[in-house]
Amino acid sequence: MSFALAGMGTVVSTVHAQAADSKQSLIEMQKDPNQWVIPTGTYDNWRYSALKQINSDNVKNLQVAWTMSTGTLRGLEGQPLVIGNTMYYETSYPNYVYAIDLDHPDQIKWKFMPPPNEDAPPVACCDVVNRGPAYAEGILVANALDGKIYALDANTGKVIWVAENADPKKGSTMTNAPMIVGNKVIVGMSGGEFGVRGYLTAYDLHSGKMLWRAYSEGSDEDIKFNPQKTIDGATGKPVGADSSLKTWRGDEWKVGGGSTWGWYAYDPKLNLVYYGTGNPGTWNPSQRPGDNAWSMAIIARDADTGDAKWAYQMTPHDGWDYDGVNEMVLVDVEDKGKTVPALVHFDRNGFTYVLNRETGSPIKITKYDSSVNWASGIDPKTNRPIVNPDKMTEADKNVTDICPSSQGDKDQQPVSYNPNTKLFYAPLNHLCMSYQAFNVKYKAGFPFVGAIVNMVPGPGGNRGRFIAYNPMTGETPWEIKDMFQDWSGALTTAGDVAFYGTLTGMFRAVDIKTGKILYEFKTPSGIIGNPITYMHNGKQYVAVLSGVGGWAAIGMANNLHKGSEGLGAVGLNASLPNYTNLGGTLMVFALPSKAGE
Amino acid sequence: MLKKIAGVVTLSCIIGGGLTAISTQASAYDGQTCVAPGNCWEPKPGFPAKIAGTKFDPRHSPKELAKQSISIAAMEDRNKKRVDAFKKTGNFVYEVNKLTD
Repeated sequence: MSFALAGMGTVVSTVHAQAADSKQSLIEMQKDPNQWVIPTGTYDNWRYSALKQINSDNVKNLQVAWTMSTGTLRGLEGQPLVIGNTMYYETSYPNYVYAIDLDHPDQIKWKFMPPPNEDAPPVACCDVVNRGPAYAEGILVANALDGKIYALDANTGKVIWVAENADPKKGSTMTNAPMIVGNKVIVGMSGGEFGVRGYLTAYDLHSGKMLWRAYSEGSDEDIKFNPQKTIDGATGKPVGADSSLKTWRGDEWKVGGGSTWGWYAYDPKLNLVYYGTGNPGTWNPSQRPGDNAWSMAIIARDADTGDAKWAYQMTPHDGWDYDGVNEMVLVDVEDKGKTVPALVHFDRNGFTYVLNRETGSPIKITKYDSSVNWASGIDPKTNRPIVNPDKMTEADKNVTDICPSSQGDKDQQPVSYNPNTKLFYAPLNHLCMSYQAFNVKYKAGFPFVGAIVNMVPGPGGNRGRFIAYNPMTGETPWEIKDMFQDWSGALTTAGDVAFYGTLTGMFRAVDIKTGKILYEFKTPSGIIGNPITYMHNGKQYVAVLSGVGGWAAIGMANNLHKGSEGLGAVGLNASLPNYTNLGGTLMVFALPSKAGE
Repeated sequence: MLKKIAGVVTLSCIIGGGLTAISTQASAYDGQTCVAPGNCWEPKPGFPAKIAGTKFDPRHSPKELAKQSISIAAMEDRNKKRVDAFKKTGNFVYEVNKLTD
């Protein structure tokens, strides 16, 4: 079982081999490379498969095996699941959920259509995307944009329970994929551009009962931080009383943002859930003096109680909308001669963070895009960014040439870690911006942004990069430059291949050692979803959703044309409609069958 | 009053050569001067100590600020009623007004 590989290089081993009693079944299922059982592939977010029938020698022969229209347009993020003989996937709003019997992919086993809620699309900042359903114990859990969580019978699609988790009338929605740990469904929410105060919630898988809820800002009780026990990863000391409130003025924390729409990770041995919090309240930093904790933070919480073990704020007093929600990839690293359990995070702010995942203490922080200029680096004494005063934004001042842009050097598109090369394979953005903040007044359910932003391609003129990266050394062994942001996730396999898609709709297989493009196929629309792979009846398949949208293509998704619309993203990709249309297709690839098969 | 404070800061920077380093820090926010562990934001010269009543004051309505927590409490209450009835009857009903006590 190659998942149990534990090399001794710079980045080594993982939590795969460890298992905990009550969580046995889903953990055991994750070890089977024939299936893709949780959104991120495995709890450690590697997006790596031990399958190697498709490999760097034969991937050039890849073909489309079958396709399916999703019946929707607009951005298709996320990925299918494969549980046994059944594939499940969810579309963008109105969030159709499909089950397909892989023995009969020409038929639809069941389709679930949640009641549409027209309150939701107008308060979705960055397209009506969804990052996929989760599965455990015969139950499929699907979040809907309007803030409802549906638990469905995986066999029939029949509703088991429904919970209301976010209120679109107050500007809060859901785009994230759930993570199921034992009997707990862990979900976040969205709304950072609507002044929504973020939270993470756990529900009972079988009844929908709320088990715990932890806010990103507020009292120690609200945020579930113990003043004496919760550690601040930056100082290595307990956070103390009112660690959030003391970094805000007045009641501004009530509209403090810190939403939780990214990917979550879980370490069964430590029983800790890892996630990141988004931008603080308005985009106008002059309106919210203080560090604005715990927005822009990586937080580790006990899966059973929600209590925070540690927190590390990456971007105090954000002035750029560098949401800290990107995924945490759990690996072990060599640090000062010892093997340390770590997490690796490619933040929107352009830095990769390698932190000790037991303590939150930084091990190594590097820039993964050399154009990053809002901070010169991370001070080794304070473990905080050394902000470039020229790039700090403030009310009524147009600050120009800030890199990266608000979309970050990486947004939602998840990276893949390959244990054989011990490198990370990262689909990235490469963008800069001008940013002019202004004062805004909060009104529940309305945008709470307060900045005029214009995004431009980064140095060199390309908007996207797909790279191999070593976060312990900051080395980039190879790089592919792409015209538009690489907004799809990555998948790597034991066949030495990395898969990803481009905004123009190219689905690519790349040699993980050299970065050479070995195969590409023009799918019907731009790709912002994440490739997965599975084995069915002895044959390996690779599946990906094709349907352009998200923040990268918000101009196309929302039919916007003014450059600074779409939170500054529309002008950037004005030429994208020359390459692709809106779409909605599930694409499944395989090697050609031999005659008679 | 605000102008006076700003004036004093500027004046002391010009007069006191020994204060140059401090003034450089204060005028160029770099996130490295911490008033307490985990609390390192500092205002630029001229930025008011309190924003209430200044041009930076967002003048939020307390009623608007309270709306989210009221909505969340109502959702939590409805969810609880659904779960309690589901556990009791084995039948899940979403419409809270159709639940009988």
